[in-house]
Amino acid sequence: MESSNISLNSVIRFNKVDYSHPTGTIALRDINFEIVQSELVAILGANGAGKSTLVRHINGLLKPTRGTVTVFGQDTKTATPAELSRKVGIVFQNPNNQLFAQTVSREIEFALKNFGLSDDFVKRRIKWALDTFLLTEYADRSPAELSGGEKKRLCIALVLAWDPSVVILDEPTVGQDSEQKDKLTQIIKDLISQSKNVILVTHDVEFIWPLQPRIILMSNASVVADGSAQQVLGNPGVVETSSIIIPQLADFAIRSEWSKPYPATPEEVEKRIRSV
Amino acid sequence: MQWIASGFLFVRGNSAYHRLDPRVRLAISLSIFTLSLISESIFFLSVLVLTTVGIVAFAKIIRRFAKSMIFTALVSLLAFALNYYFNPASPHQAVVFGIRLFAVISSTSLFFLTATPDELEQVMRWFRFPPDFIMIFVIAIRFVPVLMMDALQIMDAQRARGLEFDKGNIVKRFRNTIPVLVPLIAVALNRSLDLAEAMDSRAYGATKKPTSLYKLSLKRGDVIVLFMTGLGFAIGLSVSLLVTIF
Repeated sequence: MESSNISLNSVIRFNKVDYSHPTGTIALRDINFEIVQSELVAILGANGAGKSTLVRHINGLLKPTRGTVTVFGQDTKTATPAELSRKVGIVFQNPNNQLFAQTVSREIEFALKNFGLSDDFVKRRIKWALDTFLLTEYADRSPAELSGGEKKRLCIALVLAWDPSVVILDEPTVGQDSEQKDKLTQIIKDLISQSKNVILVTHDVEFIWPLQPRIILMSNASVVADGSAQQVLGNPGVVETSSIIIPQLADFAIRSEWSKPYPATPEEVEKRIRSV
Repeated sequence: MQWIASGFLFVRGNSAYHRLDPRVRLAISLSIFTLSLISESIFFLSVLVLTTVGIVAFAKIIRRFAKSMIFTALVSLLAFALNYYFNPASPHQAVVFGIRLFAVISSTSLFFLTATPDELEQVMRWFRFPPDFIMIFVIAIRFVPVLMMDALQIMDAQRARGLEFDKGNIVKRFRNTIPVLVPLIAVALNRSLDLAEAMDSRAYGATKKPTSLYKLSLKRGDVIVLFMTGLGFAIGLSVSLLVTIF
């Protein structure tokens, strides 16, 4: 992508971004991409590829060593994480690193109060979050009493409660059963239909394949592929270099020597087989 | 903050100083530590600090040492200021107090920045500390950087929820630490329980006298450095006592 080509509905833009950790380790190297409104993006890569470092730049937790990151036209170097977090919500990987309040309701309330939202709005959003994520019965219980999967749900709920325009989910499927994964898939689809952006950081290619997101594939602190799910995950050469396993459906399609686009769902596979 | 925290992460060094027997390194640090406590001379204390910095440069850990000593430098300045404020008649004493504090902590830091947790364990075994005590001590040391990284991750997670640590009056700032301290304590407790179970399942405590794969042994270079340290300590002690007496 040429750095001069800026879309009118550009939401996030990385322009020649480098980032080095304080220890001197290079975590990001010459990152260039743009995310436009309503786009669903999955960031894939092996452990240590730089995925989490990359998303921490979007809400200003980290500032680039070189280059610029702009979010809704604002340079992240000129904004505080609190300002950017109002627009960009990150659901972190480890729920235990976030939960501290006495009750589940108070946990959801925390960020809403930090953003100075009205009491009425806060109450409505807490109720919405509890209902949507099946946490109503735990509303007055301590977050510490929840199971791993419930804690993960709470972490997603407390971010969606303040209704950010960009939602970043860092390994959202870890510890989730198939029912919760289906529910998460539905929530992601709903968010996209509301013209929001969702960025998934994950290893779970089976989870993202039916969503058919745009995929940014990272390896050794650099972006090695950027394109549609079928372009990136359907290319065994690219996938192999990044220690990612091809989704079963794509693998089946490649082995069956089917022409692209590969089927995204089992129903599509069935349809294709019947047509053969 | 992260820059400072990275100074506490253990990085395995490969200098000639790192290759010395850990008991010799302990002797060097203890010598500087003891002389710092005894000396009343600003010049001599400054020489001790410079000696520490010289060894740090030789061990190629200047950056890590600088990061880990930022707070010590501030505390030393504070110690000097408070001493001078309460006893303005003796500025000499205030300067001695400030430099002494820095010298004592820097000598300790020199040892801990160059000793691996395994070496600490071996040294404590050599001193015949009880095995349980050694294990508790070594685990505590080993987990300091881990907890610091946990704290930084928790701070990131709370900042992403709109929490601003550096805003508001002192009461508000203190209250802002609660969203970090509560998860940090919970994470630390959970980790200690997991670790205890993992150690139990690997037969920790099955024997009262566990054996060790590695044994400490002094080489020729270690003996020479140990002798020089002893000589330096004797000279330093004599000079300190002479300065104090006369």
